[in-house]
Amino acid sequence: MSLKGIRTNDKHIKNLANIVEGNRSILYKKEDLLAYDCDGFTIHRRLPRAVVFPNNTEEVAKIVKYCHEHDLPFLARGAGTGLSGGAIPLNGEVIISLVKMKRLISVDFENRRAVVEPGFVNLKLTNSISDKGYYYAPDPSSQYCCTIGGNVGENAGGAHCLKYGVTTNHILGLEVVLPNGEVIEIGKDGIPDAPGYDLLGLLTGSEGTLGIVTKITVRILKNPEAKQTVLAYFDNVADGSQAVSDIISAGIVPAALEMMDQIAIEAVEAAAFPVGHPKDIEALLLIEVDGISAGIDEQIHQILEVCKRNHVREVKVAQSEEERARWWANRKTGFGAMGAISPDYLVQDGVIPRSKLPEVLNRIHEISREYGLRIANIFHAGDGNLHPLVLFDARKPGETEKALKAGSACLQACADAGGSITGEHGVGIEKREEMRFIFSDEEIAAQTDIREVFNPKNLLNAGKLFPTPGRCLEVKKEEKSVTAS
Amino acid sequence: MGLNESDLIKEPACQTNSFSNYLWSDPPDENKWADCVHCGMCLESCPTYEITGQEQHSPRGRVHLIKSVAEGKLEVNEHFMDPVFACLDCRACTTACPADVDVGGLIEEARGQIRQAMPLKGWKKAVSHLFLHSLFPHHNRLYTLGNVLKLYQKSGMQTFVRKTGLINIMPQHLAEMEAIMPEVKKPVRKKYKHEKVIKAKGETKSTVAFLTGCVMDVMFSEINEATINVLTRNGNDVMIPQNQTCCGALHVHAGDREMGRKLAKQNIEAFQHAEKVIVNSAGCGCMLKEYPELFREDPVWRQKAETFSKKVEDISKYLYDTGYKRPIAEIKARVVYHDACHLAHGQGIRDEPRSLLLDIPGVEMVEMANADRCCGSAGIYNITNPEMAKEVLDSKMKNVPKEAEMIVMGNPGCMLQMAMGVQKNGRNQKIVHTVQLLDWAYQKEDRLKEGEECL
Repeated sequence: MSLKGIRTNDKHIKNLANIVEGNRSILYKKEDLLAYDCDGFTIHRRLPRAVVFPNNTEEVAKIVKYCHEHDLPFLARGAGTGLSGGAIPLNGEVIISLVKMKRLISVDFENRRAVVEPGFVNLKLTNSISDKGYYYAPDPSSQYCCTIGGNVGENAGGAHCLKYGVTTNHILGLEVVLPNGEVIEIGKDGIPDAPGYDLLGLLTGSEGTLGIVTKITVRILKNPEAKQTVLAYFDNVADGSQAVSDIISAGIVPAALEMMDQIAIEAVEAAAFPVGHPKDIEALLLIEVDGISAGIDEQIHQILEVCKRNHVREVKVAQSEEERARWWANRKTGFGAMGAISPDYLVQDGVIPRSKLPEVLNRIHEISREYGLRIANIFHAGDGNLHPLVLFDARKPGETEKALKAGSACLQACADAGGSITGEHGVGIEKREEMRFIFSDEEIAAQTDIREVFNPKNLLNAGKLFPTPGRCLEVKKEEKSVTAS
Repeated sequence: MGLNESDLIKEPACQTNSFSNYLWSDPPDENKWADCVHCGMCLESCPTYEITGQEQHSPRGRVHLIKSVAEGKLEVNEHFMDPVFACLDCRACTTACPADVDVGGLIEEARGQIRQAMPLKGWKKAVSHLFLHSLFPHHNRLYTLGNVLKLYQKSGMQTFVRKTGLINIMPQHLAEMEAIMPEVKKPVRKKYKHEKVIKAKGETKSTVAFLTGCVMDVMFSEINEATINVLTRNGNDVMIPQNQTCCGALHVHAGDREMGRKLAKQNIEAFQHAEKVIVNSAGCGCMLKEYPELFREDPVWRQKAETFSKKVEDISKYLYDTGYKRPIAEIKARVVYHDACHLAHGQGIRDEPRSLLLDIPGVEMVEMANADRCCGSAGIYNITNPEMAKEVLDSKMKNVPKEAEMIVMGNPGCMLQMAMGVQKNGRNQKIVHTVQLLDWAYQKEDRLKEGEECL
């Protein structure tokens, strides 16, 4: 773009502006940058140096090359809906916003694949192909606005991943700009299972630390022939949890199996998409089965039986697509709905074996009491992916720190139950230290060695995904002094 | 030199400063932004984010900036003004928001602060003052302007300006507006000046008061006429309180909340004896319903405003709720319905007008993608931010199906803007108000009964 109107003494900003064609290609004034100081994780904030809006792979590559040559930290950002802080410019990065690269490049129905640019919004893919009877399976709750590029970065999941798998199961090929500006293609032509190391698997979920994805080939699926959705209200969380286990044990693989607890229900009912759930129940389950028509009714019958056996208060099957859509809108806007009952929230993303549900939920209740903070639970019960939402008010001194500690304690509980600290939201900034709950120093070092191969200067999204060695030393020192005393 | 992990900042860079940079009364309401958890669900709903891809032009970005000023991190200056005034105030984000954050309210409050911190100067001040203070609140002056426009049209001046190319020296968006200017007729407030009540045809079921609006009554008086016809036909006595004034929406959008309050008070008093206040302009209706918001710091008037707001109803919703005669005559037309922002997002009225239209025999409705996307009119946004408004309109027009013969809606601002879109795109579509179509059907029915037209 022309440098007309760009008023700054920062030569890097002028040079970066020169790379990108067209209007609205760079932001560098404080007031404009403020909107980029965090993503969906709002606890850590920092202003970026600039935000650049490339139009194509070549421009991304040139920007990256420039940053690489001039030792400028940089990172990629999509819609900025991530919940672990992966797109927060901790080091005053140059943000490479991919929102202008939002084309659906091609759809190949015969081979069931589509090629998109990273800024293409998740739900738009399904909307673009649904008239032909196809859809894109990974459905994070933010799918109305999150980008597929971001989904690749975080290996995003969603309500229907229980049956269909997370993002990585749907990626067939990637075009990637490496941290030195080199452009590579992995999984060319979308042929699955290429020989050699599974680089697609490595890149997917690397949280933007190994490269910047500029083109994505995804798998698309044929719409299931039939679909039925059940809503069940339980007076007691333990009964709800048992019902979850029993449904899976009965051999049914629901497309989705979601749970919300009482506080979560309070929030969604106070917010924009209420359904009319009773407020005095302890848990509700939202269960969806899909597939070929034959057998669906039988599965629904079994699910209803399981619920009844587990003392369900009320259970019903959606009578229309409209009703089903209302139930899902209520569930999928659940995180944002927390705003209706609390000024801030911190969402955690632990994974546990299904059988441990009642035990871990109890522990979370205890944590809530210990820290004096309310914790809501909205989660993918079917695959044991918990989302404890710690409610707090950042305006009250000390409450943010308390929330962080409570969140961390929830993850400790998941790790103790034999689970993991993240299912689908990524580690980002938020859970860096908690990586130690599940990995030893050596295991972490082995992973940073891999990063070293791709990102030797560590200019790309530095400080994410792994604990910082400094902090680790401090922690050890503390431990030592505790032991010594 | 690369970065070492140990160089990285370990502590949150987040800090709050208790010194708010909002210096005047009636600042943006903390409780409104406290609802926003920055989830981003609003992004795709926002027309200016769609066009720019920039987060300071997105709802959550704007809320973030408004909050940052209160936290003392940002000052009320030109750079803050830009994103706040680039908002269309279309409220699509309030529909999308899971937590019901009142972004529109925050934007208007922020604009109030900006206008006090940085009063308009020079020609912008003159133009704004002319329209907002000297023209809109004065029905008589508007009417005189209407007469001038009428003279412009009837005298041959319009033809002259167009033919001689004088039109070419007008700024482009003004020239485009000139091209779609509707024919000016007599406002209903003048016409019914001496009638205390316009009686219902047949038995009176209820009595309603009618807010005639400013643009509506001068530019589109036939729609007001149609509204009165439809109301009286369905058993309503209609009163037009003569001391009513402009609703103040344009003033509040522009940050002139003081004038907004003044007009609000006048209207609240003008309609104090009415049981129902019927509005046919979505923008006005939404403003009237939001009067309490203007009096957050004035409990007495807040109370009055709340009582008043409860009486306000859009014509389509009023007819739908109280019942109306289904027309018998056929209007053969393929129509598409455009949701005015301040009807759909502002008042949650979507199904009622559609149902009204579908009740007219012969009307066929075509689906439109993103029917509730802003057209870019947004009060006087198309005059203050012509470039962004043009891009928003282009995006809207792409979705309007070519096979539709009429584009129906419930707001005069949208009607002017969509007419411009139709004209610019070389389309041949008629721009119609919902109530007009219903009135035409009734009129046709009457003519049929009188035997003027054959079935």
